[in-house]
Amino acid sequence: MKKKVFALLLVLVLALSVTLVACKKKGNTDKYAAFEHGGAVCNDYKVGGQVIIGNSTALSGDFIFTGLGKSSVGATDQDVNVLTTGYSTMEVNRGGSYVWNKTAVEKYEEKETENGTYLITIDIKPGLKMSGGTEVKAVNYLAYILAVASPAGKAFAKNTTGQAFVGYNSYIIYDGTNDGQEVMVDVLGEDGKPTGQKKSAGIASKTFKGIRLLGEYKFSLEISTDYYPFYFADTYGAVSPYDLELVLGKGAEVKDDGEGAYLTGNWYDKGADGTYVKKAHLETKRYDYFNHEYTGPYTISKWSEADKQVTLKLNPNYAGNFEGQKPHIETVIIRQVVEETQIGQLKQGEVDVLEGLTGSDSVNAALGLIREGGFKEVHYDRAGYGKVQFDCDFGPTMFTAVRQAVAYCLDRTDFANTFCGGFGAVANGPYSNNFDAAAANEEALNALNSYAVSTTKAKEALKNGGWVYNADGTAYDEAKGGIRYKKLSAGEYGVNDANKTYESVSNTDGKVYKTTLVNGEYYLPCAINWFASVGDNGDPNPVSELLTSKLQSGSNLTQAGIVLRKTEGSFTKLLGEIYREAEYGYAGKPTYGMFNLATGWNSALYDYSFNWIDSSSDLYDDYFGYSSNKLSDPYDKDFKWDDAANKGLTYAQAVEKSGGKLGMNYISMAMVYSVKPGNTEEYNKWFLAYMQRWNELLPDIPLYSNVYYDAYNSEIVNFKTTPFFGAAEALLYAAIGSVQTAK
Amino acid sequence: MAKYLLKRLFYILIVFLLLSLLMYLIYDLIPFDRARALSEAQRENYKNDPAGLEALYRTYQRELGYVDADGNEIDVFRRWLQWWGVIKLNGAFNGVLQGNFGVSYTNVERPVMDVLKAPMLNTVFINIFATIIALGITIPLGIFCAVKRGSKRDTAVQVGSIIGYSMPVFITAILFIYLFAVAIPIFPVSGHSTAGNDYTGIRAFVDKLYYMALPLIVMTFCSLGGMTRYVRASMIEALSMDCIRTARAKGVKEKVVIYSHAWRNALIPIVTLVVGWFLGIFSGSIMIENIFGLNGMGKMYITSLTNNDYNVVLTLQMFYVFIGLVGNLVIDVLYGLIDPRIRVSA
Repeated sequence: MKKKVFALLLVLVLALSVTLVACKKKGNTDKYAAFEHGGAVCNDYKVGGQVIIGNSTALSGDFIFTGLGKSSVGATDQDVNVLTTGYSTMEVNRGGSYVWNKTAVEKYEEKETENGTYLITIDIKPGLKMSGGTEVKAVNYLAYILAVASPAGKAFAKNTTGQAFVGYNSYIIYDGTNDGQEVMVDVLGEDGKPTGQKKSAGIASKTFKGIRLLGEYKFSLEISTDYYPFYFADTYGAVSPYDLELVLGKGAEVKDDGEGAYLTGNWYDKGADGTYVKKAHLETKRYDYFNHEYTGPYTISKWSEADKQVTLKLNPNYAGNFEGQKPHIETVIIRQVVEETQIGQLKQGEVDVLEGLTGSDSVNAALGLIREGGFKEVHYDRAGYGKVQFDCDFGPTMFTAVRQAVAYCLDRTDFANTFCGGFGAVANGPYSNNFDAAAANEEALNALNSYAVSTTKAKEALKNGGWVYNADGTAYDEAKGGIRYKKLSAGEYGVNDANKTYESVSNTDGKVYKTTLVNGEYYLPCAINWFASVGDNGDPNPVSELLTSKLQSGSNLTQAGIVLRKTEGSFTKLLGEIYREAEYGYAGKPTYGMFNLATGWNSALYDYSFNWIDSSSDLYDDYFGYSSNKLSDPYDKDFKWDDAANKGLTYAQAVEKSGGKLGMNYISMAMVYSVKPGNTEEYNKWFLAYMQRWNELLPDIPLYSNVYYDAYNSEIVNFKTTPFFGAAEALLYAAIGSVQTAK
Repeated sequence: MAKYLLKRLFYILIVFLLLSLLMYLIYDLIPFDRARALSEAQRENYKNDPAGLEALYRTYQRELGYVDADGNEIDVFRRWLQWWGVIKLNGAFNGVLQGNFGVSYTNVERPVMDVLKAPMLNTVFINIFATIIALGITIPLGIFCAVKRGSKRDTAVQVGSIIGYSMPVFITAILFIYLFAVAIPIFPVSGHSTAGNDYTGIRAFVDKLYYMALPLIVMTFCSLGGMTRYVRASMIEALSMDCIRTARAKGVKEKVVIYSHAWRNALIPIVTLVVGWFLGIFSGSIMIENIFGLNGMGKMYITSLTNNDYNVVLTLQMFYVFIGLVGNLVIDVLYGLIDPRIRVSA
């Protein structure tokens, strides 16, 4: 009898399983296939429903003046800001480019003035309404810049808002009492102490001359010659409107008497303690979400500090984004998810959208769920990549041949496949395929050297680079192998003559490779000190681990005659070594020539000026901190950007004048400072030149670029994300399927 | 007794001040410059103005109290006094004594107390329940096992408690999430409350309890083993005392022997642990908080440490020092209440 009952139970369980699977498969059919899914503009949807966005980054509550004066900006906070701020004169489109907002801007004019400045005049459309019904006018656009650039604003949050506009330096020193007066400040010595001397900081001005209020719906912004010519100068015209109650509070107004816009009323009033009263106003408003009007598609209806969860409600007055798209989802909630259990949360309906899934475990789990039905995905190439970064001013990595040889020793295709679990690709340069400039140069970029794995080429590069000695100065015998040395000539001693005393560290095998002095000649070992970061709590970094097995422990480097010494430490220490800042743990002597980390772009605004230093330039020390690789391209010594005669040349002119030898510093500066806004064709030429020279010098080795997956509930229709157009932007175009089909 | 308490409170004050100085000195030794970090974060904005960036650094140095108005470095002892608020910082007394514990720089620059409030409340909320439930189960269970020592039920509890004790918290948590939130979806996977709810009062409390249930179950499960075995061992020792044998010989009821005579003798080592547990309601569990996505003190502590957010870390450590010192006093007083032999003479 028991056996029969057991058999019957088994049959029942089997039947139930089949039914469940059948039901699930049935759910895999898209109920809303007839709806638009490509993210096209559509304002015919019915409004309703709720979407919960899950993000592994916790919200901090900095939604109003997101990131202003802060050392870091939370990506999720930015999402809330994107959803609650609208009518900006320019917005970022799906390709990451800034475009004029047709919904908010009636017309605009950009022109170069006789003074060499760049004037942008903007007419906004009348009738734009904020969440409370108040009309948006020109003063709403100017109030924020005038407020945060003023001393009260800077006391609230140190920032450089408005620095590109004419009259900035005079405006920021006006304290409410010193209009037209010269302001004297202490001259500081190198130790930061006052020398006792004074210098002029300029003539204080109540008005911000480069910002003009020209009418109820019209204003202009004038970019100073310090910031123009600049290829992206038109993006200085990207300003957002704010509720005056939020930014200025009671008793202050924006005025313009013909000389420039200014703040009047009580803006410059000080309290008994000598601080600006409006500083306290801004501090309060930064975290006050409920006592002002919003300009964006949503308003903040609830924020829970305990849950780190924000609830947004649709703003019915919102007129649309840059292409007129209005929101159709009634409620949007953003909450934190845990990476380990996020797929479970999606399955249980605790979240509806998971952004940026990467790595084979997460992606495969999400794809498995999608196959079961009820969920969909959209994927895109990450606008960024993981990389090996070299210090190029000392040690073996200061020599191009060594960097190239390391690249030849690493099978990057295999690395990317292993690391990304099949959901990634290899990059050959510091660009995203999503950039317009990359698309325009696609063929040429595809022809860049991919440094396919080859120990023969690695050896050849080293041989040509002079790495043909043993430690004792005798000729290197490839048959015997061992570590190669290079005889250093004058000019090859590295920063502060570091190469004369260079030695390998973290020598776990007990062998120390150091520079030898033989008959008055220095021989540098091809021993690279690599600093690998570990995760929080000392957890191993998966990239570091994979590099260890694929590169450090592999046989290619040994065959080529290179040794890699790995030191592990925190990411803070890694940054300290890169930027050579004692405050971050830098020990005062450049030790590590190789690091592994990642980089990325939030928009297509590609500007690497000041990143490539010319060691022969007077500005070397000033701009050293802006360079992540400390690479001084030898071409920059012969054809300098600092030479006024070389500035402003077209690409063709520069190539001709330099004899075809344009250095990284020159190209990166000319790319943005010699090209005027709108001259895309010329910019694209510089872009390609930059990539080609970079690929040749190889200051970094790109390792992998992930494919990101956004998984979402299939109830959401018309949801299409890109690297520059995240869930916050894409939700504007989306709607809830069941709301549309409900009778 | 009052004299003893006053003396102890005085010692607590001295130890607290000395430890605060020690902690402050330790964090000062760490090679990290907040002024540099803040100014470097704006480096990109000062591309055309390296001198401006340096000036910004000097401003931060002055505002943070590293240097005075003339650019002279302020020594660490003076900075410690500024931190306490007994000497002026930028012209005003603005330190711990004035309620200012500094600014937190992790994600959001806000006063430390504002940043700590929510995670502290969350941690206390979950820990109070976890502690009460765990003690409510483990003490009777430990007594039962001691009394029924060697029985099958005792052996079963011993095996079960060993498993619970040995299994890492994160494995238990993941297992419970899979079982009770994914396979049999009784509880939510993670979070604090229903997304987008407008609940208030009792409804909000119940919703929060529902979300906290699974982490609470995991925390309780993981803490059962240790305390049960501790109570059991302590009771076994107490039950073997001569006075217990005498009580039994005198014909005292078994219940009275166990709960009055033996239990009271077993309490002394247990009190140390129990008070420790109650003091521990202010500290979070990094594992539980991470896996269940809870905003608690454990996560806050680790995040602050990894972000060099020493104002938060120092405040927390001083708080835990204070709790520890007061806890020791409470334990000593409780010893006296439980065992007359330990009572302190006035």
